[in-house]
Amino acid sequence: MKILNLIKKYGTLIGFFGIIIFFTINLPSTFLTAKNFINISQQISMLAVVAFTMTVVMVMNDFDLSVGSMASLAGIVAAVLFSMGYPIWIGILAALFVGIIGGLFNGFLVSIIGILPFVATLGTLTMFSGFAFLISGGRTIFGRDIPSEFSSFARSGIEISSLDLKIPFLSILALLILFIVWFILEQTTYGRRLYAIGGNPEASFLAGIKVKQLRLSAFALTGLGAAIAGLMYSSRVASSNPTQGSGLMLEAIAAVFLGMTMSEEGEPRVLYTLLGVLILGVLDNGLTQMNVDSYIREVLVGFIVILAVAFSSITKKRN
Amino acid sequence: MKKLELLNLTKSFSSFKALSNVSIELLSGETHALMGENGAGKTTLIKVLAGILKPDQMIMKIDNNIQNTYSSIQSKNLGFNFIHQELNIVSYLSVAENMFLNHPYPKKYITIIDWNKIYKLSSKALEELGVTHIDVKKKCSKLSTGDQMLVKIASCLIKTDTTPTLYVFDEPTAALTLQESEKLFKVINNLKKKGAIILYVSHRMNEILEISDKVTVLRDGIKVLTDKTSELSKEKIIRSMVGKDLSDNFPERTGNINENIVIDVNNVHTKNIRNINFKIKAGEVLGIAGLSNSGQREIFNMLMGVDNIDKGKISFMDQKYEPNSPSDAWKKLISFVPRERRKEALMLKMSVKSNTTTPHYSKLSKFFFLANKQQENLITNNYSKKVQLKYENMNQSIYQLSGGNQQKVVFSRALASNPKLLLLDEPTRGVDVGAKLDIYNLIIQLTKNGCGIVLNSSDLSEIMGMCDKILILKDHEQYKILENFKINSQDLLANFYESKK
Repeated sequence: MKILNLIKKYGTLIGFFGIIIFFTINLPSTFLTAKNFINISQQISMLAVVAFTMTVVMVMNDFDLSVGSMASLAGIVAAVLFSMGYPIWIGILAALFVGIIGGLFNGFLVSIIGILPFVATLGTLTMFSGFAFLISGGRTIFGRDIPSEFSSFARSGIEISSLDLKIPFLSILALLILFIVWFILEQTTYGRRLYAIGGNPEASFLAGIKVKQLRLSAFALTGLGAAIAGLMYSSRVASSNPTQGSGLMLEAIAAVFLGMTMSEEGEPRVLYTLLGVLILGVLDNGLTQMNVDSYIREVLVGFIVILAVAFSSITKKRN
Repeated sequence: MKKLELLNLTKSFSSFKALSNVSIELLSGETHALMGENGAGKTTLIKVLAGILKPDQMIMKIDNNIQNTYSSIQSKNLGFNFIHQELNIVSYLSVAENMFLNHPYPKKYITIIDWNKIYKLSSKALEELGVTHIDVKKKCSKLSTGDQMLVKIASCLIKTDTTPTLYVFDEPTAALTLQESEKLFKVINNLKKKGAIILYVSHRMNEILEISDKVTVLRDGIKVLTDKTSELSKEKIIRSMVGKDLSDNFPERTGNINENIVIDVNNVHTKNIRNINFKIKAGEVLGIAGLSNSGQREIFNMLMGVDNIDKGKISFMDQKYEPNSPSDAWKKLISFVPRERRKEALMLKMSVKSNTTTPHYSKLSKFFFLANKQQENLITNNYSKKVQLKYENMNQSIYQLSGGNQQKVVFSRALASNPKLLLLDEPTRGVDVGAKLDIYNLIIQLTKNGCGIVLNSSDLSEIMGMCDKILILKDHEQYKILENFKINSQDLLANFYESKK
């Protein structure tokens, strides 16, 4: 009985360590090294930012399908402005602005008009993606159009010379955003209210919570997160193309769901989302190193997400 | 089936004994009332009857034949029916379709649904219960809660092969108005005449005395009383339920209404109600009464800022009061205990603490945005104590508490701001006798501190026992206010119907 409770509570965490042990055994010389983990942290930094800010809306039982195409759009907006000769800070600000406006638009559709988040953000997913193609003319913006100061951000980091390691700025940025989201959700009255809305929107409204305004603002935060991730991606590959963010949405939602299997009442918590992101990142990194075919990798990752969520809903039902 | 016996029924949940050695005999053509405080074991007994819970020990006899095995499937095959206050009605389907939810649709030409037959059979089932005012083609969403319940009961009569044998009613009148309850009682009597066995659970003493033939009382999982209703009195039943003498009467009000006016509502119209006029002084209790859906809920919507004021004005503590949302109301120290606690008040999966502090985050914060954990803990502790909440710790999830204790959380949440005006919409619905008394005492305590109170209740004795004046609503309009009343419940009721003209 006790063991079952432990598995129920820490099942996902145990699975995570299982995965690490598996790769450590199969990739003895390359997997469990500081260099590889720093590498992983950089690989997952974009996904992490999207997943952290996705947690903000999922706390209210909403979700946002448009984050991937928002990430593409934001990258394109910045790159187009760069290519027109505007300074870097203008490109970045414009991209972030687009993220907030897009997020507000999602929030407007969901909370003011009252469309289901699934339908509303499915619509904006297509819209944002369309805009990205429209602005870029459907081509990838790269080369001299992208200022080297912009792309060098992703390639540099804080050197720790004694260990011969470099902690990438992208990873540090992701950590910073993790801290901000954690602070907002867990330490402020704003976060408390978002959780209350997730618990029971009608009761929250009658208890004096401004449900409409809060939902609106939460979607804006998610949009902003997606835009940041889009900029990080453009910086990393020193180019922008209108489909660059398309993989982010599903993985971000999967990461939040993985995280939700670890919390007591199944509510999203951003630190658990981090674990979800790490699981996905480690799997991807390890399987790539083992030369597993990328299609098989996708099947495996999908299967593991379903397994974890299924396991947690079965054990919770029994409770 | 003439007789159903449960003998030596015992059921425990880990170390807690929910039922121990309970025996009960149910006869055809008899309404058997099952009573007891929340947590006495009534629900457990019903779940065992439905085959949902497996008892540790039980002998079940049907017409003196011992049943060796028992499951939910057998319960269904035997034609047992369970009617709860929470109805499983699909609101966008018609009455007839809802009645056929559990039965195969009649077909013609093998595949085509025979709608005429469905409508005919469902009307027939309703008629059998003496219900003729419900159109079976109507969408269920257009029906009142009471009528929905009648539909649910009638759907048990659809099946023609097995005649239903046992009807279990679990607090059916909790959500019903007086006249809807009257209809239900007629239907129950009709079922009884047809030879059904009826097991009836309710907290409402008067209706138990009115409609039951026998009463069984459970206390802490033990049967303490079974007797003919004609041999029993209200006092005796209550005494055996609580184990001590406890009057169903209301605690003494000490008259210390002060002359300061808390709220003055002057000829207010909203989109849903008209001509509302009342004043509440500090320490005064205003009762809201009337036939159901006459605008009771809308009075609260007006005061909470859910519905905007179209005409007229309200002044609160001598200031103009024009709320745009419940957030404005809470800010002004107006607290609200909504009618349906699970739907409108509580976040069931969240902690006692979150639920107590939700409306008060602004006041509890540091630098306007930081959550103040010490303050939250302090408030939760203080007010949980004040309402005598029984709980393990403040991080416990609400769904683990009993109904009465959940209601106490809603109260402690309302009290936590030291309100100037407290709005109570059916505050004792589905709450056991002991917790009811606690709630009445709290209300009196509040009036002593100068809090004004608006109390809506469909329990007339509660209105008369607790209120200083009564506002009677008719068709979403104020009909009259009774001040300094000396009136009995029959005359008060007469007022509702008189106003119906």
